[in-house]
Amino acid sequence: MKKINFKILMSLVLLALCLGACKDKEYAIPTASDKLQNDLIKRSLGPNIVGGTIEFAYAAGILPEKGKLTSMTVEASIAGATGTYLDHRFYNTNNSGVDVGTAVGDPSVTTGKTTQVTYTGDFSAATLRYFYKIPEEARGKNISFTFTAKSSNGETISYQSGPHEIRNMDMALDLVAKDGTDFYLSIADMKMYNATFATANPDKIDLVYLYRAPTNVTYLHSLVAPTADPVYLPTFTMPTALKNKTKIVKAFTVRDQQLARLQFGVFVDDVDLRSKDFTDAPDFAINMRAEGGIWVQTADGKYNAYIYVNSVNNTTKEMRLSIKRLTVR
Amino acid sequence: MKKIFIFQLILVLFVIAACKKDFPMDDDGLLITNRSDCYVSAFELLGADFQTVRTKAATIDTTAQTINVEVFYGTDLKNLYPQFSLVIDAVLDPKIVGKVDFSDLSKPKEWTVVSGNRKVRKTYKVYLTVKQ
Repeated sequence: MKKINFKILMSLVLLALCLGACKDKEYAIPTASDKLQNDLIKRSLGPNIVGGTIEFAYAAGILPEKGKLTSMTVEASIAGATGTYLDHRFYNTNNSGVDVGTAVGDPSVTTGKTTQVTYTGDFSAATLRYFYKIPEEARGKNISFTFTAKSSNGETISYQSGPHEIRNMDMALDLVAKDGTDFYLSIADMKMYNATFATANPDKIDLVYLYRAPTNVTYLHSLVAPTADPVYLPTFTMPTALKNKTKIVKAFTVRDQQLARLQFGVFVDDVDLRSKDFTDAPDFAINMRAEGGIWVQTADGKYNAYIYVNSVNNTTKEMRLSIKRLTVR
Repeated sequence: MKKIFIFQLILVLFVIAACKKDFPMDDDGLLITNRSDCYVSAFELLGADFQTVRTKAATIDTTAQTINVEVFYGTDLKNLYPQFSLVIDAVLDPKIVGKVDFSDLSKPKEWTVVSGNRKVRKTYKVYLTVKQ
């Protein structure tokens, strides 16, 4: 009898447990902190390059009954270059997908390392975007930022970001090489030059852009070093003063996002340029196509570079190219 | 009686395990099989940008053991990556571990195909011509 009672008791306990486990937990709306709060995201991706921009979105908010935002300040460890600012507007996306800004005050004021927006409107929460233009003095250094928000009830809150490494490389976008006019490329200057300049400054010329459309073979848009075999210079006579034997390695899937500004999440970084192997590399790249590129080492070994072909045009005989370049020696 | 039965069962299991065939492996841990087929079924040649440099499909002569490939004008012949497709279970000797220099067109590169049973070896010569 005792045994039966025990079994019944255990069954009841088990049943109670089962019923308890099935009970729904009631959802409770989380209670917002009544303090001033903040958060930060870094919007820009990829290596930080001198002359480029690092972009952040800094958000702060406080319960309306507690107070209003009075200012947002960003302090960089190295003062930003001209063009550094904290956008004085926050954005909403309208039905057409367009970001519409709402000003919270006057445009930001930058003094030395500090950039500030003072709120003049009645705002308890806002997200402002900060654009830091990377200055020359930050090259190769680490940089950090302190974002600070203040509210009308006297509260202050800060958010640290960094360190962010600034790369040693340089970048030049959208150089236009045009066959017959500006078709001499200088890696040192990251510029296209015409024949007159090239003849006067032969040491500066590392590559020559040519467009040819011979009947039997595919040549089209090509980048060749001044020392390239004449077979790769159809109907073109290289000025005799040009002697640089630039090493070239063709690439095709290296669609660097900063150079291409396309959807691909590929970034050429300092380490890629520094470690690229140019052993047995040729001095010509025939039939270059859009979204292709070349790794280049200058004849003096001073620069390694990656040249991305943004576009080519057979009619105008042009190539638009962008460059990342690192001084390696 | 029970003990004897268990002993006999263990004995049978041992015998079964002992009869199981060994699968021989080569030095690379690849299975050595009974297949004696030995040929190249396809050939690809990539440039430094890992794009094909062939102007058309390679001509593979399994009798003469030759592969003829025409490459684009302007191909960098010193930095090419050959890729062989072989009959099942066959291997290539020497292995291709990186870029290959084809710049001396007078001396065709050679690779040996070794059959699945590792008993048949056929050496293929790869001839390159540049489209002019």
